[in-house]
Parts: sequence; structure tokens; C-alpha cells
Amino acid sequence: MSSTFLLGAANGVQWGDTIFYLVLFIVLMALLKHFAWGPVSEMMEKRADKISDDLDSAESARKKAEDLAAQRQSALKDSHFEASKIIERAKKNGEQQKATIVSDAQEKAQTLKVNAKEDISRERQDALDSVKNDVAELSIEIASKIIRKDLNANDQKALIDSYIEGLGKQNEAK
Amino acid sequence: MNEGAYVQKLFGIPFNLSNDIPGLITAVIVFFLLFWLSRSIQLRPNKRQNVIEWLIDFTNGIVKGVMPDEEGKRFGLLAFTLFVFIFIANQLGLMLQLTANDKSYISSPTSNAMTTLSLAFMVLMLAHFLGVKKFGFKGYFKNTYLSPIPFLFPLSVLEEFTNFLTLALRLYGNIYSGEVLLKLIYKLATSFGIASFIPAIPLELIWQGFSVFIGSIQAYVFVTLTMVYISQKVEKE
Repeated sequence: MSSTFLLGAANGVQWGDTIFYLVLFIVLMALLKHFAWGPVSEMMEKRADKISDDLDSAESARKKAEDLAAQRQSALKDSHFEASKIIERAKKNGEQQKATIVSDAQEKAQTLKVNAKEDISRERQDALDSVKNDVAELSIEIASKIIRKDLNANDQKALIDSYIEGLGKQNEAK
Repeated sequence: MNEGAYVQKLFGIPFNLSNDIPGLITAVIVFFLLFWLSRSIQLRPNKRQNVIEWLIDFTNGIVKGVMPDEEGKRFGLLAFTLFVFIFIANQLGLMLQLTANDKSYISSPTSNAMTTLSLAFMVLMLAHFLGVKKFGFKGYFKNTYLSPIPFLFPLSVLEEFTNFLTLALRLYGNIYSGEVLLKLIYKLATSFGIASFIPAIPLELIWQGFSVFIGSIQAYVFVTLTMVYISQKVEKE
């Protein structure tokens, strides 16, 4: 070491080296800036920007998705509500319909029953009326038969004739 | 080393070519290495781009550790160039030592005090210049020499010189001593023929490996201290 630094001073410092290194370093720095440092650090900056942009856009996309999910959730809830409302309405309608049908049926049955009763009573009346007639005739017949019990043949014949005549008359009357 | 110094006068200015030639070689290596690394720059980095981006991140990290970001951004290129240049300069002499006719042609440029003094001079001048530019001469003077306590003024002045000397001589001493030991081991290897040649190989190997380590550390230290000195000048304490 003694050589360069201490003896070097005795020989005269090679101060040209300082100039040489200054120039060398500045030229090297300029060249590196143009060919290596500049483009690379620019690209690194661009990448950093892109990453931060991507992060931002990812954030906004996430927010949008969350909003959409919330919207869908609320829509789903609404639709649940609506569906239950529809079902309720349908149930009510059904209930009402059932009630009207049943009451209609009851009414109809009632009228039918009333009609039937009326029919029955009328029939019975008719039947009674006709039975009354028949009884009257039968009693008459029986009476006439009892009266003509001990008649002779001629009388019998006359009786039969009258009877037949009576029948004919009766038929005619009918 | 002076025995190998190859001094040439040009325009009356003495140039030590055994110092300048390796400097030039270093610069050329640095340039072509980084030029090669920085081809085909893409948004998605390829292998070579990753290397140079890692380097840039590393030197930017040095700057960032010392200065706030907006202030330090300007010094990224300086730190980067300084680091790569000194790193390659430190390693050059480990791989290649060329001495012919008692004149050294290739060794580590940083194993010469002139080189490291020049570099330290350059960065410290830059620091002072930036200090003056930012605060004006009065502000610079107050900031550098009269703060925090004015009566420490003599010490502050002295400190500027010691900063300069320690910055340069630390690097120089480390690399120079490394080279001296490399040469000593080489002398050992050639002094007793094959009997010393073979055991000297692993010795040299180990020392070279260690010197690579030292060279990297010193490059890092030089850049870090440079940034510290600059930040002292451009920031109010």
C-alpha cells in the first residue's frame, strides 16, 4: 500500500485517474439510464400501477357482486312473501268456494226434500181419494152381493146382467 | 501497487493506466451485463429481467432505508450504478490478475486508493452540491456545520474530511488487502514447486470465496454510506 498512496504522492499523484473515473462513471451512468435502468424501472412502475389498478378494479367488482347478491336476496325474500300471499289468497278463495258449494247443495237438497214431501203428500192424498172411492164401490158391491145372495138362476142371470150392465156403466163412467 | 504502476502522461496529466484499464474493463462489463439483462423488457418479467429487477429493488431498498421515498427516488440510478460498478470492480481482481513486464494491467480497480478516493470524492461533492442547491449556501452551512450545536463546528468540519477518507479507505483497504493475500498465496504456490502448488489451490479458493463475500459487503456498505451522507445534506436535522 505504501507504494501508491504514500510514495505515489512523492512520485506525483496520478490525478488523471480521478478525472478518468469521474468521466467513466458519469458516462456509465448515462448509458445505463438509457439502456437498462430507464426501461426496467419504467416497466416496474407500470407493473406497480397495473397491480394497484387491478386491486382497485377487483375491489369494485367485489362490491358490485355483493350488491347483486343483496339484491337477489331481497328479491328472493319478496318472492317468498308474494308466494305465501298467493297461497293464502288461493286458500281463502277455495274456502269461499267450498262454502258456497256446500250451501248451494244444502239449498238444493232442501228444495228437493220439500218437493218430494209435497209429491208424497199429494200422492197419498190421491191414493186416499182413490181408496175412498174404491171402498165406497166395494161396499156397494158387497151390499148388492149380500142382497142378491139367495136368488134363483133367473134372478141370478138378471143379477149378473145388471152387474155386467153396472160394470159397463161403471166403465163408461170411468 | 506501485511496482506495477504504469504511469502515462497525457496532455501533461499523469494517468495511472494500471488503474484506468481495469476501470474501463469494469465499466464495459457492467454495461454489457446490464444491457444483456435488460433486453426484451415485458410486463411479465422473464428470467433475465427478474435478475435486473431484483438488483434494482435491492439498491432502491438501500436508498429507501435512508431517505423518504419522494426524496430518494432521484438517487435510485446513482445507487444502482454505484453498487453494480463497485461490486464488479471488487470481483474483477479476484478472477483476473494480469501483470506483464512488471506492469500491472488488470486487477480490481478498487484495490487502488485513487479509484476509491475518486468515487468518494464524487459522491460527497454531489452531496454538498445538493445541500447547497436545496437550502442555499446559508442554510446548507447551518444545516451541515452548526447543527445541532454550533460550538461543535470544528468537529463538524473535521467530520466532513473523515467521512471522505473513511468512505474511500474502507473500500480500498478491504479490497487491497484481499488482493495482497491472493498474491501472497500465489507466491506460496510457486515458491516450492508442486509441493506447495497443490495445497495452495484450496487456500486460494477459500480466500477467493471469502473475498467475493467481502466485495459484496463493501459495495453494499459504500452505497449505503453514500446515501446516508447525501441524506444528511439534503434533509434538515
